[in-house]
Amino acid sequence: MRYALYLGCTIQSEQFGYEASVRETLPRLGVELADMEGVSCCGFPALNSVSKLGWHYLSARNLAIAENMGLAVLPLCNGCHLSFVETKHALEKDPELKNVINMNLDKEGLSYRGDVRVVHLLEALHDEVGTQKISEEVVKPLEGMKIASHPGCHAIRPSDLQKVDDAENPRKLDDLVRALGAETFDYPEKIDCCGSQLALTSGRVTLRIAGEKLQAVKSYGFDGLVTTCPFCFKMYDGRQRAIKAALKDDSLSLPVFYYTQLLGLALGLEPARLGLQMNRSPVDGLVKSVLE
Amino acid sequence: MRTQAGELVSLQVRRKRVKCLSPEINETEVRFISRMLTRLVGEMNATVCEQCGKCSSACPVSKMIEGFNPRRLIAKVSLGKIDELLRGDAIWTCTACLKCRERCPEDVSPYDVILILRNLAYRAGYGYPAGYDDFIEGVIGRGFISEPQAVRTRDGWKVSRGDLGLPEVSGPGDMAQFSAVVKGIIKAGRQG
Repeated sequence: MRYALYLGCTIQSEQFGYEASVRETLPRLGVELADMEGVSCCGFPALNSVSKLGWHYLSARNLAIAENMGLAVLPLCNGCHLSFVETKHALEKDPELKNVINMNLDKEGLSYRGDVRVVHLLEALHDEVGTQKISEEVVKPLEGMKIASHPGCHAIRPSDLQKVDDAENPRKLDDLVRALGAETFDYPEKIDCCGSQLALTSGRVTLRIAGEKLQAVKSYGFDGLVTTCPFCFKMYDGRQRAIKAALKDDSLSLPVFYYTQLLGLALGLEPARLGLQMNRSPVDGLVKSVLE
Repeated sequence: MRTQAGELVSLQVRRKRVKCLSPEINETEVRFISRMLTRLVGEMNATVCEQCGKCSSACPVSKMIEGFNPRRLIAKVSLGKIDELLRGDAIWTCTACLKCRERCPEDVSPYDVILILRNLAYRAGYGYPAGYDDFIEGVIGRGFISEPQAVRTRDGWKVSRGDLGLPEVSGPGDMAQFSAVVKGIIKAGRQG
């Protein structure tokens, strides 16, 4: 397994814990990652709202680079994944649009054919590596930990373009959590949005949407929450203190992880190599319990 | 403590106003937007959308913001009240969660309609959220919304990509050419 690794703006500029833990863990499971040269933003968010053509252009140019590498592309961010899947589909359906995009790509010495495969991290881990292989590699099982899975909207929707998992009853992230020896169970808000895309228009509403889900997760007795999306992670981890203040709920405190950080811990890797020192939520207790 | 259910927030989006429309509207872009809208609206007359409300019941924003309701938005589009929608704030308050698109029994996608209306609002000079500018300028100027920064650890130390052994980030290659092409597409037909 070898993928073109597409980081995207948010991860490469600030979500170092995600990138570091992906680079540390995936190769240990037999997944080779090839860095991409010459890439740009995927066009999500904001760009797609003002110029769909510009959005598809940006995504298509990244896809064209992966095509040149002869590899399937692995976008780590749910937003980038959505952009790539939507663009691939839009250009397939609309030859005139594909033409316009290619005329512009030509000015940058690129061309987009449309045969590139887009793979979500959940697909790479669950479908290609497999939970069996992952559990065999676990040296420090996350026993006794109850972790809520939050796949994030664009990992599961729209299911008509690329069905990463069941849109109403996603199971893959849960299976992956269990493969590490941790516990997980369904909860009513599992497929609900984190609200991050409203941050540009209403910070207050964003914090409420995210906060109400965190409160629910905590009320079910989960010890932590796991995701693979940097937007969701930023809401639940990075903005947890702001959420607490906005909801006036001092008891609201929940450790939040990227899946690959928990995977790395279970594989016996040092927390610092997984960027765990950069999580803003209170992860120390759970990390310590794994190390002991 | 849960916030009270049913408590609606009224919203005022800080909008960036655009002075005037450029006379040179890019034909490709306008054709593209019109085609998208025609396709969606054409498929979305009263016999298609049953106004069942599955979209609104799934919507995380309807619960919170007064005046945002995807079911009503679709009704307005099919009644031709596009101008009212373009002037209002509602189209800018969607979180893009895609639940409405997923759950619609008639394959209408309020999310896609909203994206198209946003595109139209931007093109036609109705204004757009002020915060979008940093994103747009970032992409045109450096290829990405943001650039690598030093991030603080929980203990307050600043760490860079290099400190963590992460490779340097590559840009879009020929930056001038990239900027020209992307600017040409995004700002086509727009002034300012």
